[in-house]
Amino acid sequence: MSGLQILWQGAAVLVGGGLLGLVYKGFDRKLAARMQARIGPPLRQPFLDLGKLLVKETVVPKDAVAWLFRAMPFLAVAASFTVLLYLPWGPFPAVLGGYGDAILVLYLLAVPAVAMALGGFASGSPLATVGAQREIVMLMSYEFPLAVAVIGVVWRLSTLGVGPAFSLEAIAASPLWAQVGPLGVIGLAILAACLLVVTPAELSKIPFDIPEAETEIAGGLMVEYSGTYLALFYLADAAKTIAMAALVVILFAPYGIAGLLGLKGAGAQAVDLLFHLVKIFIVMFAAVTTVRVAMARLKIDQVARGFWLQITAVAVAGLILIVLDRMVVG
Amino acid sequence: MTADQVKEALVRAVPGLEVELRPRKVGVRAPVEVPELWATIGRDGLLPAVSALKGAGPLHISIISGRDLGETIELLYHFAVGYGTPGGEVMVTLRVPVPASDPTVPSICSLLPGAETTEREKIEFLGVQFSGIPRTDHVFLPDDFPGHPWRKGDPETAKLVKRTVEWEKRDG
Amino acid sequence: MADGQKVYEIPIGPIHPALKEPIRFTFQVEGERIRGVEVRPGFAHRGIEFMGLKRNLIQVLYLSERICGICSISHPIAITLAVERAAGIEVPPRAQYLRVIFSELERIHSHLLWAGVAAHELGFDTLLHLTWKVREEVLDVLEELSGNRIDYSIPIYGGVRRDIAPAQVPKVEAMVRHYRGLLEELLDAFLRDPSVAARTRGVGVLTPEEAEALCAVGPTARASGLSKDVRQDRPYLVYGELGVRAITPRDWGLEPRGDVYDKAVVRLLEIGQSLDLIEKCLDEMPEGEITSFPKIPALLAHLKKAEGEGLGWHEAPRGEVIHYIRLEAGVEEPVAWKVKAPTYSNLMSWVPMFRDQEVADIPIIAASIDPCMCCMDRVHVVRDGSGATLLMEELLKLSRAKTERVLRGLSPAGGGA
Repeated sequence: MSGLQILWQGAAVLVGGGLLGLVYKGFDRKLAARMQARIGPPLRQPFLDLGKLLVKETVVPKDAVAWLFRAMPFLAVAASFTVLLYLPWGPFPAVLGGYGDAILVLYLLAVPAVAMALGGFASGSPLATVGAQREIVMLMSYEFPLAVAVIGVVWRLSTLGVGPAFSLEAIAASPLWAQVGPLGVIGLAILAACLLVVTPAELSKIPFDIPEAETEIAGGLMVEYSGTYLALFYLADAAKTIAMAALVVILFAPYGIAGLLGLKGAGAQAVDLLFHLVKIFIVMFAAVTTVRVAMARLKIDQVARGFWLQITAVAVAGLILIVLDRMVVG
Repeated sequence: MTADQVKEALVRAVPGLEVELRPRKVGVRAPVEVPELWATIGRDGLLPAVSALKGAGPLHISIISGRDLGETIELLYHFAVGYGTPGGEVMVTLRVPVPASDPTVPSICSLLPGAETTEREKIEFLGVQFSGIPRTDHVFLPDDFPGHPWRKGDPETAKLVKRTVEWEKRDG
Repeated sequence: MADGQKVYEIPIGPIHPALKEPIRFTFQVEGERIRGVEVRPGFAHRGIEFMGLKRNLIQVLYLSERICGICSISHPIAITLAVERAAGIEVPPRAQYLRVIFSELERIHSHLLWAGVAAHELGFDTLLHLTWKVREEVLDVLEELSGNRIDYSIPIYGGVRRDIAPAQVPKVEAMVRHYRGLLEELLDAFLRDPSVAARTRGVGVLTPEEAEALCAVGPTARASGLSKDVRQDRPYLVYGELGVRAITPRDWGLEPRGDVYDKAVVRLLEIGQSLDLIEKCLDEMPEGEITSFPKIPALLAHLKKAEGEGLGWHEAPRGEVIHYIRLEAGVEEPVAWKVKAPTYSNLMSWVPMFRDQEVADIPIIAASIDPCMCCMDRVHVVRDGSGATLLMEELLKLSRAKTERVLRGLSPAGGGA
């Protein structure tokens, strides 16, 4: 790919990803409202919110470490949007596919959380400090099952000779489900389930919205952020939602439907891209929207214990099944 | 625990105490009498009386009410004896007059920790002092409010009211 | 954790998303553990008792109703009972039943309100929306019967101000049936939900000994297993004949532990109890007068002549309400009036409930006693920068003046002025 090509494709993915994130946020809010017997906001509400925040005054608290406080929203946005560049989009390969792999994506996904925590610590408010501590504990809790799920899939693929190892494109190009034995299928299903549990935690949504916990610590991490900076975090959240859901789709459901429909060329690409977006939406709806209307917020110790013991145990069991599958099937 | 037993316990604790029984007829189809006991007691008799009540059954203090009579300040301790006994609870009101020149009463918190809030409220509103109360900070009024609103002709409260009236006029 | 770990303070309130009304908690926190708490009420103190001593008894009645919007039947019932006792006024049987019906309707809407708030504190907004949607039904009935969703102005000295017309009875009965059907669903959504249980079991525990020593009242005491209910223990109105029984978690087949879950059990089951009471009252209510003083001037004249003192009590949704009043002949105003709201008694229960809990539990523990600050505080004193003290009325005046200014500025007619 030429430099120019990367530039315009990158721009397209960033703008598209940002818009898509906001549209999906709109759907998420509307659908959640309907499930709660409310009318809910109009679909364009996230755009209105973002617009409003951008024209509002941005306050930096007196006690804050100003440069850190100001820098963190930009870091969060940069990291979450950069992830989009490393993900393949249905029929289209990742814009920066040749420059980074699944491991990089895992790191980049952790950066917005770290940025939010640092921003929280830097804001000098006790509520934000509590939120930031919680965010760090959350990060340490869900990263391990997340890594196990990703590595399980990637390792099994590499044993099948699909390469280069850890390349998301290679993973997307060869769905694993058909290539493994029955044990492997069970193992994969377990890992997929674990990843779906990790998704709302990664995105800090109920029941894992502990670092923000409106009724407890009044927004926690975000309590001192306003105006443009808050808008940036809002945008970062929208992009991260898309990235996380896309990662689930790429790892566990990288199928297209153009082949089934007998389409070819540009039409096929369009249909497959659309199908990819629909899958991302379904993952978001299942792992974020429905979960957040069906549960109460958990406590940080419950989450830490749950992820470290139960979820990790389940994820490792899935991994062991996949290893056994490798030994049986080859 | 019947009203008579509570009365007996009170008289035993504070000899010579006159306890008035004021029954109240309650109900429509089969009216029953709900007993209420009222007694006026000196401040020295308060602690023995409260421990007698405590001995008579689970003790609950509803509230201490009071008013400024000029020379004296009258405190009314409203207790419920036998709280949690279906139909068998007795309301006991102890009237404790204290001289306005020396408004000190023994605190009953050692016997009934739940009385702390209402005693603290009396400190800020009536300027009564409770000896032995664990905490004396204000409950409802600002920490630095100097007056006692339920005292007759309290200058600080009068100032507050005057300011309100002036504000109203200015606004009109 | 290291011994030298710093204990730091987290202020919650007076304005905080977890608090529906103003109060200030200062928590000493070590990591996520609460080591101590300082409670400071008084932010909604409006000097209502002080105002009451400057007004005639009818005005005091309406003032008492405005102590709190949610307990707007409990305070009037307590004050009417106190005044009737002091002035020796009889209440016609039908009026007694009507007072009970209204207070039980209030209990239903108050407990549903609490259930929604509790769900919100837990971050379970779906349940909040569900319960508050369901709550509209009883508010509609109250509006139908009294003309208002809150502040019903029903009790008056000597009776009630409005009767339930025969045509309205089916509506009330329909509401009772509606809630009977829904209650099972609500109990299911709250008490059998694993995520609610995970957040409320073992949280904010008040032992029976503490509840007794600190004089806790209402569902807060009952959740600890104390069978205390003013309606049962100290009968008034027709409650003695209706056979009210204090509800504890044992009615749900559980040994009481005094945690937040138990408080939810008690409140939700009391909704069912109130439905039974309403049905029974509608059934047993005799025909007849609804007040012994149909004419207000006659009532005022009688009250002016009255001399005496009295206590009036009522089991409000949150616990025991008690009013003490003293009347003197020849004076229209009461010479003494003391109001005690349930939260006043439950205030001290917070301290043991918060001990060694987590920061995440603060909202639900604060909400678990169903605090009603305006009931408890009754002279809102606000301070501006100059150190002067402002009363609530001043603020109200200021806000009205501002609204007028805004209106003048916005209206097309006065726009140019």
